[in-house]
Amino acid sequence: MSWIPFKIGQPKKQIVPKTVERDFEREYGKLQQLEEQTKRLQKDMKKSTDADLAMSKSAMKISLDLLSNPLCEQDQDFLNMVTALDTAMKRMDAFNQEKVNQIQKTVIEPLKKFGSVFPSLNMAVKRREQALQDYRRLQAKVEKYEEKEKTGPVLAKLHQAREELRPVREDFEAKNKQLLDEMPRFYGSRLDYFQPSFESLIRAQVVYYSEMHKIFGDLTQQLDQPGHSDEQRERENEAKLSELRALSIVADD
Amino acid sequence: KTPIGKSNLLDMGSLMIKPIQRVMKYPLLLCELRNSTPPSHPDYKALEDAFAAVKDINVNINEFKRRKDLVLKYKKNDEDESLKDKLSKLNIHSISKKSKRVTNHLKILTRGESQVKDNTFNKEEKMFRALEKTVRHCMKNISFCLQHVQDALPIALQSVRELQEISYNKDEEERGSSETLSNAPNPCHDFASHLQRLVLNPLSALLSLFPGPQKLIQKRYDKLLDYNSYLQRSAGDESDLAKKEYEALNAQLVEELQVFNQAAREILLNCLCSLITLLRDLMFVAQRTYSTVVLAPLLVSSISEIQNRVLEEVHNLNFVKDNSATFIERKLSFEKKKPVQILPEVPRQTDTHRSKLLSTYSAEELYQAKRKCNATQEYDINLLEGELVAVMEQKDPLGSTSRWLVDTGIVKGYVYSSFLKPYNPAKVQKADTENRFCDDDFDNIKVDEQIFYAVHAFQARSDHELSLQEYQRVHILRFCDLSGNKEWWLAETQGQKGYVPANYLGKMTYA
Repeated sequence: MSWIPFKIGQPKKQIVPKTVERDFEREYGKLQQLEEQTKRLQKDMKKSTDADLAMSKSAMKISLDLLSNPLCEQDQDFLNMVTALDTAMKRMDAFNQEKVNQIQKTVIEPLKKFGSVFPSLNMAVKRREQALQDYRRLQAKVEKYEEKEKTGPVLAKLHQAREELRPVREDFEAKNKQLLDEMPRFYGSRLDYFQPSFESLIRAQVVYYSEMHKIFGDLTQQLDQPGHSDEQRERENEAKLSELRALSIVADD
Repeated sequence: KTPIGKSNLLDMGSLMIKPIQRVMKYPLLLCELRNSTPPSHPDYKALEDAFAAVKDINVNINEFKRRKDLVLKYKKNDEDESLKDKLSKLNIHSISKKSKRVTNHLKILTRGESQVKDNTFNKEEKMFRALEKTVRHCMKNISFCLQHVQDALPIALQSVRELQEISYNKDEEERGSSETLSNAPNPCHDFASHLQRLVLNPLSALLSLFPGPQKLIQKRYDKLLDYNSYLQRSAGDESDLAKKEYEALNAQLVEELQVFNQAAREILLNCLCSLITLLRDLMFVAQRTYSTVVLAPLLVSSISEIQNRVLEEVHNLNFVKDNSATFIERKLSFEKKKPVQILPEVPRQTDTHRSKLLSTYSAEELYQAKRKCNATQEYDINLLEGELVAVMEQKDPLGSTSRWLVDTGIVKGYVYSSFLKPYNPAKVQKADTENRFCDDDFDNIKVDEQIFYAVHAFQARSDHELSLQEYQRVHILRFCDLSGNKEWWLAETQGQKGYVPANYLGKMTYA
């Protein structure tokens, strides 16, 4: 590194071995990435639960408007169908709300709690960095005195500098060791922590969708003319529309 | 020279008009026949009937044609008109027609039913209107719902993938299931395209068919108004025409609206059925997508256990313990708070109590509470403003003369003497206004002081907290901690700052 101009205050020798520095960077980097992921996930989960709630609300509106329609008074069959649909939609909303609550409890809250640890980590890393700077500065000072002629006052200053250096170096090394030791443990803890959340999320979705599938399945059984397939209905609609278009009150010229 | 085999040259138009001409000839023929038959002839009756029947046929055909013509006339008009055309149609005649109609309409509104009424039509029209509203709302609501579905489902899938990423190491076996999740197609795709084809397209096509009949219904109403107005006057050619026009339009509409309503209803029901089926299928696809992940059975309660355990371990890491103020505060609020002594509800002073005091004690001993006093120390009592007390001793057990022992007639206890003033029944009213003034002063000073004292001693457990001795005075800098928790206040005393629990502090006023 001789091409780098020697800065005042920087020690000549590398006080922190490159491997150690690299390890530190790597571990901290992983944790920084994890922090990003948890933040993004929190946001996305919030968006997702909001979207789910909006979806069930708009589904309910379909049946609500149908129910409040005067057509229901005039047509009993229509009323029955719409009432059944409304019941289904209301149940959908209820299940959805429950799903959201479950997700809130087992995923979003734990996410928040986990995320609240990161400020401490960042603070600790900052402190280590500060300690490192102090260490470097004092080390440079010691080296400076070491290079000078070994006169009395210089020796005294050297000794003093060495004394100053020692606690700072110990502090840094303690912090460094602590973080190097604890960061992987923190990183590893995420697996045990989040796997239950993941499983709970999957489970909540599966339960919700299977319930919904059953509800709408029952509804189709209840209401639908048996054996009507999509194509059949499509054809019927087309036929009816043509019939309508043939009416003189409707006809375009 | 006549060419051999030459038939009467007819073009298509003349050929087509032949039946009409023939039909119209019959009445004439029969009429002539009848006129030349003496009434006594046995065939006369039959001839009469035949003539009447044939005339009816002609009239019917005419009216039928009128209906169609009317409908065509009004249908065509509105579509191709520009503003200029509309303006050019305005003339005296049309304006007078319109104003007559408006008057008649108002007449009907204010005086009730018109004389001309068709219940069948009204029923059909009502259904028509209801159908239009239904179809319109369905279109709107289903479109919105589709939009929301298309928003919600992909985001949910995305979140699940993100959570999976942090929950598992990349090189673990769960990789298998993660691939199925990440490769899962958008579950809404089929739903959206089918919904468009089976529900939204038919409904929108149906919706576009409503305005036509709508216009005709309006026109019919105009004709009704015209007819109605003529009914009140003498019959004449004009009234006859109005009647014919109204009846033609009415009949046409009644007949065709029934068909329309029936067909529209069918389409609507079909679309709703399709919607329900599509929803069912969507739910199934979504369920299948998520079911691809294989899970171990797990109880909900154990989730929080596991997570709390992990979190505790994390929080025991040194870098966490050393570096978080908020953590400590939150940890402390998890712990059980020291139960705050809740003073029993003291019954308020009644007149009987007051009269008892008045009779038991002499006038010099009677005082009145200037303001509400809250008990803060042991043996203190609560007082409401204006309550009467009798002073028993002008000092407290520790010898301080600022706290007095008083009797309220219900309980005996201590209050700060600065809260009391001599009781003067004569000057009660004036005193009230003075009181109010005093209270304001109190409030101002109170805000400025922010001096509290420690009701109990408090031992700080970290650098962020402040140790207090009992009755030690502190100055409050902030009434909440960094995270907004109102149970911890930032206090300063003897040059030191730190957080103390709010319920350990008592307000200090004149002492």
